[in-house]
Amino acid sequence: MNMFLHELKAYRNSTIIWSLGLIAIVVLFLSLYPSFSRDAEEFMKVLEGFPEELRKAIGLSFETLATLLGFFSYSFLYIKLSGAVQAMNLGLSIISKETRDKTADFLLTKPVTRTQVITSKLFAALTSLVFTNLAFLASVMVMASFVKTEDFSEQALLMVSVTLLFIQLIFLSLGIMIAVLIPRIKSVISISLGTVFTFFILGMISSSTADKGLRYLTPFNYFDNQYIIRTLEYEGEFIFIGISIIFTAVLASYWIYGKKDVHSV
Amino acid sequence: MNIVIRELQATRKSLIIWCVGVLFMVFAGMGKYAGMTGTGQTINELMAEMPESLQAIMGSGGFDLTKAIGYYGLLFLYLAMMATIHAVMLGANIVSKEERDKTAEFLLVKPISRGKVITLKLTASLINLVTFNLVTLVSSIVMVQRYAQGEAVSGDIGLLMIGMFFLQLLFLVVGTAIAAIIKRPKRAASISTGVLLLTFILSIAINLNDKLGILKFITPFKYYEAEQILNEGLDPAYLTISIILITVLTAITYQSYKKKDLNI
Repeated sequence: MNMFLHELKAYRNSTIIWSLGLIAIVVLFLSLYPSFSRDAEEFMKVLEGFPEELRKAIGLSFETLATLLGFFSYSFLYIKLSGAVQAMNLGLSIISKETRDKTADFLLTKPVTRTQVITSKLFAALTSLVFTNLAFLASVMVMASFVKTEDFSEQALLMVSVTLLFIQLIFLSLGIMIAVLIPRIKSVISISLGTVFTFFILGMISSSTADKGLRYLTPFNYFDNQYIIRTLEYEGEFIFIGISIIFTAVLASYWIYGKKDVHSV
Repeated sequence: MNIVIRELQATRKSLIIWCVGVLFMVFAGMGKYAGMTGTGQTINELMAEMPESLQAIMGSGGFDLTKAIGYYGLLFLYLAMMATIHAVMLGANIVSKEERDKTAEFLLVKPISRGKVITLKLTASLINLVTFNLVTLVSSIVMVQRYAQGEAVSGDIGLLMIGMFFLQLLFLVVGTAIAAIIKRPKRAASISTGVLLLTFILSIAINLNDKLGILKFITPFKYYEAEQILNEGLDPAYLTISIILITVLTAITYQSYKKKDLNI
């Protein structure tokens, strides 16, 4: 419990800053919605003048995009990006800082097992992410009710927003696993940005080309916002893959950390 | 000179990884172009009618996607993003790592001035940036030419890469300036990337709403947009702003580092 509280305290400021950052992004993007929806209406009129086949081709995806939910899904891409960086940073640093700050022997000579160490750290990280997500969800709901031009499905909005937590958990577990694998990490942010942006760019390529195979590779695309909005369901297959990744990474971390040669000096 | 060689060695591995990354990006990105040719001219006309905010969301921008170079314009944003992340982290790390790794004393008791340390570190970073830029330039020309069906593309790509180079320089000195000013060396890289993400997200928000247009002077990503460079060339006003910013930030780096109370 002491370790848990200590970690919570150590990450209090960074959690608050990240939460405020995400709220700022939400406020910034959603406050642009009213003018966007005016643009969209005008464009609908322009669209009338074009041939019917074309209208069908572009209109379907367009109509979903022009709604508040569609607009939010678009901004959500960048929220996911920031959220993933936060989670990955947290996972990497919470484990690797002991070696980097030379506090590993202080911690590991205490009468606690390594399993307990990881468990407390894991729960502290989890608490920090859950807090961030609650702040994020609240800001989304409040902003959405301010800027809405017509009624929208709150359930869909909530379901899309909640996927942030899930993506963060995937990146958190990846971060923890990488941190136990690498003997000494000098700079956390280089590794986390590298990993997150690789997945992000893969995700962009995958969604702009609708490549089926690539989608499995990047957690950013495990949740298809359009699909969620349309059916109010998640895709079971990808939930399963996500949970498997989290479990494998966490179990591997426990196992490796249990017998790892920790650099203490 | 020793410092330059030392820094080049220290950054070699990460530079190679970044270059492989950008090569992959160019090859994978342009490779996808082959699969999406023939969307037709009508789409282009329609896109032209679309308000800018909608174009931003549809992800097409003002590019002529029937041409290879137009498609490359789409890709350019991601290349620029990679290049600037590389630059800003390089700048922040190359200055702050001496304090972080507790090698600052070792370095600064050598018979060279602090100003010279910065000069040499900047030189090493510059070589890194140029290498990154050249790798992107050459791979882009090769790949785009392959799909361009005989059109000349080298000139356009060259212009885009000049723009990207300015972005790289700008973010390099953003990184070094932050690392030189800040008291806690471990924060340098996080704060620099924070600035980068902030300006990036701001540039997207500006695309969504004209009223934010005035803010475009704050975010360098708006200085060098592929759409504008391809259609109108580099804007002298933005070039001037970039040069002024680069000079000021370099001066700040030197001044702050000279006066810095090192954290040992």
